[in-house]
Amino acid sequence: MKHLFACWGMGLALCISSTASADETVIGYIKTITDQTTIDESAGPIKASLGSPVHVGNVIKTDQNGAAGLTLKDNTILSIGPNTELKIEAYQFEPQQDKLQLNASLLKGTLHYISGVIAKLKPEAVTVKTPTGVIAVRGTRFLVKIEE
Amino acid sequence: MTTISLPKTLTFAVALALSGCAKSYLVLLEDHDGSTGKVIFSGAGNETVVEQAGYGATLDNNSKTVFKVEQEKINKDFGRALASEPVLPEIFLLYFETGGTKLTAESAALIPKIVETAGKHPAADISVIGHTDTVGDAGKNEKLANERAVQVSRLFDPSKLDVKEIAVTSHGEKNLLIKTGDEISEPRNRRVEVTIR
Repeated sequence: MKHLFACWGMGLALCISSTASADETVIGYIKTITDQTTIDESAGPIKASLGSPVHVGNVIKTDQNGAAGLTLKDNTILSIGPNTELKIEAYQFEPQQDKLQLNASLLKGTLHYISGVIAKLKPEAVTVKTPTGVIAVRGTRFLVKIEE
Repeated sequence: MTTISLPKTLTFAVALALSGCAKSYLVLLEDHDGSTGKVIFSGAGNETVVEQAGYGATLDNNSKTVFKVEQEKINKDFGRALASEPVLPEIFLLYFETGGTKLTAESAALIPKIVETAGKHPAADISVIGHTDTVGDAGKNEKLANERAVQVSRLFDPSKLDVKEIAVTSHGEKNLLIKTGDEISEPRNRRVEVTIR
């Protein structure tokens, strides 16, 4: 929470954060962004910018003016609107080893999802959790809004 | 009887639609390639399946109803999320003459377009995967596929392009586009796959 306040205090708008155990493997990059987005990294929230790497465990956060888009290694696209928190819970993309997984959580706000290779090769390996349930994906594009 | 009950039904329907506005919900969209998949929401022991583009389901009650979502509402609720969609990833296949790293004439002609495409992807994340056909020893093919991929990866000059990462991988003869037996010369298997994210 301390980090969060520091982040807002500095007037940042997109944060990406992650747990201390976050894997260092880059699973995708921030590809579109307003200056209102942060990423919660293990060391605390950092201001996200175009090209910021995304890791498993990261929470991508936007404030009331923020928006951001990311493209993951399997070509999955996730773009979010204002007042949103999106967590990447798990991700594996090693088709040669049949290691395929994408679990994200939309904690609040709005998400636009476009499926990538993982959803094509192994649809059951993709889920988007919401506060009230789980969305399973069968090769598609959809929108989700979480009302607080 | 009918004239009285109809407006009542309508009022009820409008009220439902309005209360739906404030709730958490999802909307299925048509893919950019024109196809439509489906989404399945599971919550509180219920499962709701949405299979028609432009239709949605609420996430916070026991209703399994699927309803149409007007474009106006989609724009209002999701305009910013939709507008921040990144440039879609693009995939190119480059083919090689047998046994080496010389591109076919057709593939060589594609190079300017590929480099131009990379320039259109901000913070580009490029993967280059090399492949061979099954002619020759598997170990040598692993090496050859890597040489092909490395050569293609050099097309992208980080000093001129906004590139975050270029990942080079070799699949050797293990990932055939066209399934063949061993020692088969197959032009479509002698390739490098470039994905520009």
